[in-house]
Amino acid sequence: MDIHDVSDDLEIKVKKYQRGQGADLESLKDKKLKGQLAVKEDLFKKSANAAAKAEKWLMQTEEGRLEPEGLEKTWRFSQQSIANEVDVASRKNQFDLVLPDLGPYTLDYTSSGRYMVSAGRKGHLSIIDLHTLKPIKDMQVGETVRDAVFLHNELFFAAAQKKYTYIYNRAGSELHCLKEHGSVLKLQFLKNHFLLSSINKFGQLHYQDITTGQMIGNYRTGLGRSDVLQLNPYNSVLASGHSGGTVSMWKPTSPAPLVKMLCHRGPVTAIAFHSNGHLMATAGMDKKLKIWDLRKYKAVQTLPGMAKSLDFSQKGMLAASTGSFVQVLATSDSQDYSRYMIHTMAKGYQISKVLFRPYEDVLGIGHSSGLSSILIPGSGEPNFDSWVANPYETLKQRREKEVRVLLDKLPPESIMLDPTQIGNLRNTRKQEKQTKEEKEAEKAAAVAAAKNVSLKKKTKGRSKPSKVARKKQEGIELAKRSFVEQNKEDGAAKKKQKRITDASDLPAALQPFVSRKRS
Amino acid sequence: MAETKRNRNVGPANRKKKKNKQSNWKKGPHLPNALQKQLDALNPRNDDDDEEIIRSDDDLYEYEEKLPEEESKKNRRYDPVENFEYELPEDFEDEDVASDDEDGDEGFKKEDCDDNDEDEEDDDGDDYDDKKHARMLQDITGLPGAAFEGKKKKSNVIVYESYPEAESNPTHDINNDGRVTIDDFLNPLHGKSGFSKLRKDAARLDKKSKSILPPLPKPQQEKIDRKTAYIQTKKRLTEYEPLVKENRERRTIYFNEDIDLGNSTVGAIVSEFRPRTDFEKKMDLLINAKELSDAHQGDGARLLELNQVSAEDVKERQDRFAKMRNLLFRHELKSKRIKHIKSKTYRRLLKKDKSKVGSTDTEMDPEVAKELAVKQEFKRAEERMTLKHKNTSKWAKRIKKRGFDVQDDGTRAAISEQLQQHALLTRKRNSMHEDDDSSDASMDDDDDDDDVISGDDDDEASKLKFLENGKKRTLELLEEDDDTPKSGLLSLPFMARGQKKKKDAADEEARLALQEFESSLKQLEGDDDLNNNIGSVGGRKVFGAQKKPVPQSKIKVNNKEKDNYFDNSESEDDADITEDVKDKRDQIITKKDVPIDTNILREESEVGHDPLFDDISKVSGPKIAYEVSLFSTNTSKKKRSMKDDDSNQVKSEKKAKANKSKAKAKKSKVAELASNKETDIEHGDEDSDTDGETRMVDGVITSGTDYELPSQDDLIKRAFAGDDVEGDFEMAKQEVMNEENPEPEKPVLLPGWGDWTHKQKKRGLPAWMVEEHERAKRKRDEDLKKRPDAHLKHVIISEKVDKKAEKLQMKVLPYPFKNKEHFEQSNRMPLGPEFNPATALGALNQPEVVKKPGVSIQPIKLKKGKK
Repeated sequence: MDIHDVSDDLEIKVKKYQRGQGADLESLKDKKLKGQLAVKEDLFKKSANAAAKAEKWLMQTEEGRLEPEGLEKTWRFSQQSIANEVDVASRKNQFDLVLPDLGPYTLDYTSSGRYMVSAGRKGHLSIIDLHTLKPIKDMQVGETVRDAVFLHNELFFAAAQKKYTYIYNRAGSELHCLKEHGSVLKLQFLKNHFLLSSINKFGQLHYQDITTGQMIGNYRTGLGRSDVLQLNPYNSVLASGHSGGTVSMWKPTSPAPLVKMLCHRGPVTAIAFHSNGHLMATAGMDKKLKIWDLRKYKAVQTLPGMAKSLDFSQKGMLAASTGSFVQVLATSDSQDYSRYMIHTMAKGYQISKVLFRPYEDVLGIGHSSGLSSILIPGSGEPNFDSWVANPYETLKQRREKEVRVLLDKLPPESIMLDPTQIGNLRNTRKQEKQTKEEKEAEKAAAVAAAKNVSLKKKTKGRSKPSKVARKKQEGIELAKRSFVEQNKEDGAAKKKQKRITDASDLPAALQPFVSRKRS
Repeated sequence: MAETKRNRNVGPANRKKKKNKQSNWKKGPHLPNALQKQLDALNPRNDDDDEEIIRSDDDLYEYEEKLPEEESKKNRRYDPVENFEYELPEDFEDEDVASDDEDGDEGFKKEDCDDNDEDEEDDDGDDYDDKKHARMLQDITGLPGAAFEGKKKKSNVIVYESYPEAESNPTHDINNDGRVTIDDFLNPLHGKSGFSKLRKDAARLDKKSKSILPPLPKPQQEKIDRKTAYIQTKKRLTEYEPLVKENRERRTIYFNEDIDLGNSTVGAIVSEFRPRTDFEKKMDLLINAKELSDAHQGDGARLLELNQVSAEDVKERQDRFAKMRNLLFRHELKSKRIKHIKSKTYRRLLKKDKSKVGSTDTEMDPEVAKELAVKQEFKRAEERMTLKHKNTSKWAKRIKKRGFDVQDDGTRAAISEQLQQHALLTRKRNSMHEDDDSSDASMDDDDDDDDVISGDDDDEASKLKFLENGKKRTLELLEEDDDTPKSGLLSLPFMARGQKKKKDAADEEARLALQEFESSLKQLEGDDDLNNNIGSVGGRKVFGAQKKPVPQSKIKVNNKEKDNYFDNSESEDDADITEDVKDKRDQIITKKDVPIDTNILREESEVGHDPLFDDISKVSGPKIAYEVSLFSTNTSKKKRSMKDDDSNQVKSEKKAKANKSKAKAKKSKVAELASNKETDIEHGDEDSDTDGETRMVDGVITSGTDYELPSQDDLIKRAFAGDDVEGDFEMAKQEVMNEENPEPEKPVLLPGWGDWTHKQKKRGLPAWMVEEHERAKRKRDEDLKKRPDAHLKHVIISEKVDKKAEKLQMKVLPYPFKNKEHFEQSNRMPLGPEFNPATALGALNQPEVVKKPGVSIQPIKLKKGKK
């Protein structure tokens, strides 16, 4: 039975690496293409098999979990009882930093989970190496700090301060002052695109390329002040929550939201995305926590309760905080989220942010009097890919990675709701018609181009001025004619369309005689 | 022989073609039958044509055909009688002989066939022969001639004789009736010796004999050749088909895999070296000499022996080397000497260059600048110790003694130059830091005085001058102001009023400025008393002149900071304070008149130093300082400060009190500071800081000064502001839908168009318009139904096309694909090394062709084993 299980497991993995089903080749008439596709499909299968096997043998560590026995409940386990059981290295991850003066604190981890930047509301910024638990930099900027995020690695971080956003390096020296963002309430960094995005007091969304400094997008949400902004790690689409209970999703190249959902009946307080991109959790003032399926845009689960801050872990656990109370939800055999663990801070502590630490079973909590870190077994990804994020990165590796990541930087337009659509056929169902002005402009450009064509110098009187002039004129005429023809074609298409619609107007008795070719 | 010549093998296809040809030939005048027949008799070819046509028409004309045959006999005018009669018996015999082995009927048939063949072949006169033959047959068999005709018709094809009629190739007239066979020749030889053998041979020949085809016309021949060639080539090429197919189906084609490019190591190349040129051969001979190799094989003794060189040789070598060395040495000496000879000008220029390079270096690199400064300092110290350039040398003393007036110009210039150098050397070098500062200061205040204070050695005199200048200009302007325009736009009453207002303000300002100028002038004069011992050469830099503008500017900077950080209402108050502070500080300075290091001042003034503020101060500083002299318009602040000047003491105390109370509430230490009157400057700063803090954390700790209690209505509105979220969302969705799928415009007629009678008006819009509108509406509804968010009430999915992202998608399906699904599924898999295991990566990204560079691709060879 064990063997069978293993093979089943492998099959699942193979399926994962095949990235979807192959096309149905039986329906193909083109034999050549059929052969080619069959070969290709075969190669895909081989690759997927190899990848699955590699995963099986190389990524052997499996995430653990709290397993209750008998009448035990997982949420009855306290941090103390966990601390008694775990090893010293893990126990190190349980800590409370009491910083009562400059709170409330917010925090961010690097993608490898090794470094943490924390920002106290009253101007306290610090970077901590979580392996050694030593502060790398601890500074006070002397003004309100609303948010801080790491950029592509631990060397740089951005802090949203009272008036402007600043970029600091690890040593704490200010590198840039981003005035265009205005007074930012929330920051997000799109690491594959090197875009720093922010939402400011006026509900304006900014995207700035931090490699070139170029402002990529500046859009007003038009839905009022909001400090809820969350990145969907799957497709790099940003979601912002608003006071009207709506969540809107944005990309840097379009001024209108891609999707706008009415999620709650009160203001949205927090959003979180599952790393597979299918699930979104939202919390609103209407005392509801909803989990949405983003493929169908439907709520799959609605839980009662408020949440000031939400976060999905790498393994799909959901942390929600209210007041001084943290709740972690997890899926069991059923797909529904249910309570997994709870944690209560000292009374009066207001939790402002919960964030799972990548590649560790740790939940970081920023609250009004400091920072805390608790253990949530089974929340983090146990196997790290050193090409993606390496918690044990050396200096050289970091440098190499920086170069590589910069070379792999994606253009902002590659952000779309379904990133697998890149390279596929454009959806032509709705074509944007060219306006008259555009057509005119195009025509003018074509004519200008035809005018500017430099003719080859020819001998034997073939380059006489008269001939050259005639040739040029011909070129211009040709350029013009193509547009005239296009117009004609448009007209023809219109006519055709008219006829088709006419046909559909026919009485029912005649409709069977309409040619089927149309549809 | 003629018989053998007849073509039996001519295929039916061939015949047909000929028939067609002949039918094509039938042209010319249409003659009556009788005439035609007569003509036919004369010209058999024509007749043949006719016959052909008739025959081709099958049985229908059979009957008619008979008649002309008979008639032709009758109508014949002359007969080639002799021929006929001569041949008849022979033919007959012949026939008999030929039909010996077979049945009579068959023999006839065969003969007929032969005849037909003959007909086919004969170009001319064959018809004629036919007739004769028929007649003969008729006579023999007693059957009518028509009985034989039917068979004749069926296969009558003409074969052309390619040779002209001659003795060697007799006409068929001759051998038609009685063909001359071998037997004819053999018969007379019967019984003679060797007859049997001959006959056997003949029989054998007869048996084997095949009719030899006449050569075909050239185009035809070529056509046939081509055809066969094509067939052959095709067959040969089809042999390659499986190989080509295999290659086509392969994912990767490897070319020249088996070609060995040879070893590329140096050793391998060397080992293959063969001496070719004479020189190489000679060298080879020497190197591979038997003696040497033997010596290497054996012990070293022999080698040593071989190494021996004669004493003469050694001597010669040594001599040669010595000579060379000597020459080299001499050359070296010479060049050394030459190198040292340089003109004065050269040296001067060199020096200049060096200094230039040094100066640029200092600008570029702080390190170099530092070094330079140290050097300079050292030189200065040295100069001050030795006073080398202060006319202390013997020469200078002597000249002094003799008197300057007696000296010529050159000497005087030399002396003055020396003095200058002394001055330069003893002058204090500014440190890097001071440099920065002075430039800052100049940045702060050099808006208007760039003509007066040039460079960084701003001394009292120039300052004085500048102030006086400013005063003069202000006075001038004050006087000037009086004249107003009497005409034009500016003379209009409201304009004049405005002008006047403006002018008043300006006057006020100018007066204030004047006041300030005066005060500062006074102060400067006081300074002068202290500082007048400093000469115009300025051996040492003095900062006294700067002290006024610097602190002021700094305070302004503080002001600015506050502007940036906090509300304006506060900053105004702060401005007052800072003005107070400034005045106090001025007083202190004037009283004490101690040169204050600006650095200290700066550190004092900027407690919460931040790099950001530096640039702010740089930007804003100059604008504020001394704007009076510029007569800029935004001077209200300045004015205010001046107004408050007299009452500043009171105000500052007030402020301090206020601050105190505030600070107490927030447990800050301002109280202590306030009691410390000496550190008023700090107080100002601290004040601003505390203020900032109270404001800074908005929402958490608010110093609610301007907060008004909202009215009940407001509160209710706010409480239920976001109540109808669903309705709002619905509206928003409708809006988006209207924007993306706009509603069709309502059809309207031009006003007045077509409604001059009430009838038309009654009828309403034309049907086509209504119809079109309906159609557009229906289309919109359909579109809306097709939207992805059609069934989701709470979701708006934008359908807007992102033009920038369009380039990332395909416009049309690439060639072999017909189906979108197939295409999309074929490229669903990433091919990069990040996404695939190394083992599969190579196969996924295999190139189509693999070949070695630099090796030509050979054509395909058919492998014998594969067929």
